[in-house]
Amino acid sequence: MTLLPRDPEAPGTWQGSLPVASRYTYGLAGERFFRALKDDGVILGSRCGRCGITYVPARQFCERCFDELQDWHDVGTRGEVHAFTRLYVNLDGSPREEPELIAFVRIADGGLMHRLGELDPEAVQIGMAVEAVLKPASERKGSILDIEHFRPTKA
Amino acid sequence: MTVEMKRIPGTALSEKDIESGVVLSVQDQLDARYAWDTGVGIGAYLAGLKRGEILGSYCPTDDLTVVPPRVVCEWCYRPMDSYVRLQDTGRVNTFSLCYVTWDVQRIEEPEIPAVIEIDGASPLHGILHKLGEVRPEDVRVGMRVQAVWKPPHEREGAITDILYFKPIAETER
Repeated sequence: MTLLPRDPEAPGTWQGSLPVASRYTYGLAGERFFRALKDDGVILGSRCGRCGITYVPARQFCERCFDELQDWHDVGTRGEVHAFTRLYVNLDGSPREEPELIAFVRIADGGLMHRLGELDPEAVQIGMAVEAVLKPASERKGSILDIEHFRPTKA
Repeated sequence: MTVEMKRIPGTALSEKDIESGVVLSVQDQLDARYAWDTGVGIGAYLAGLKRGEILGSYCPTDDLTVVPPRVVCEWCYRPMDSYVRLQDTGRVNTFSLCYVTWDVQRIEEPEIPAVIEIDGASPLHGILHKLGEVRPEDVRVGMRVQAVWKPPHEREGAITDILYFKPIAETER
């Protein structure tokens, strides 16, 4: 027995797009974190005295002991490259001459995922000291992109 | 449970809170494109629609004609024997008067999605489409209908090559 034939005129695929729009509000802790980044240009952490851990970005509760975290403070803008990747492909799949550098920057006991900038892509190293470069206050919107990128700390 | 709740926990947000920036937020639009492989059966069906034909397929073991055409019989799992060109007429099996669009906008004139048993297919075998040229209050289960096609040059091998089904007389074929 044979199967029904494929119609040579048949479209191979049906193509379309799904209209998916999202709006994310940051929640209590996130709101406070991004408000501080936008208005004051600072990165906030929150410390659990019992566990001896400083969370960055700041959390409302300690994820080890569930204690409410009262000790919120500015953790500065400096950290170190914990892990990084060089991206040679854009979001739309097109190739890049110069790679985009994405790193997890460790700050206190947490850190932020962000771009690296103002450095030679080949010179990135794990453990490298970096600092956040913030957008001017007038351009900050309360988004992680209020930080332009992280760059090597000037000695 | 919710009717007994005096107060729903959480922080209610209004559009104004977002617009005025009282509450911070990020908005995004996903680029959610997809390509769905039509397969042999549905591919033939779509090519048929472009030609102005509704195709089904026939299983001799079960003496069953299904629409849209499938390559394997869903009852006996044997390969289907042949494509069958069906009529573009049929009968309303079930319908709905829909006063809300897919993106939740209220509309005055309802859309009328309906399952239409296609003439030439086995009983209870049909396709989901829309009804048109009919007043909502006149639609009945069992009503005779016929496809209204797009002009040939506008057809693209899509279910929307049929604009809608319109009522026809009981005897009309």
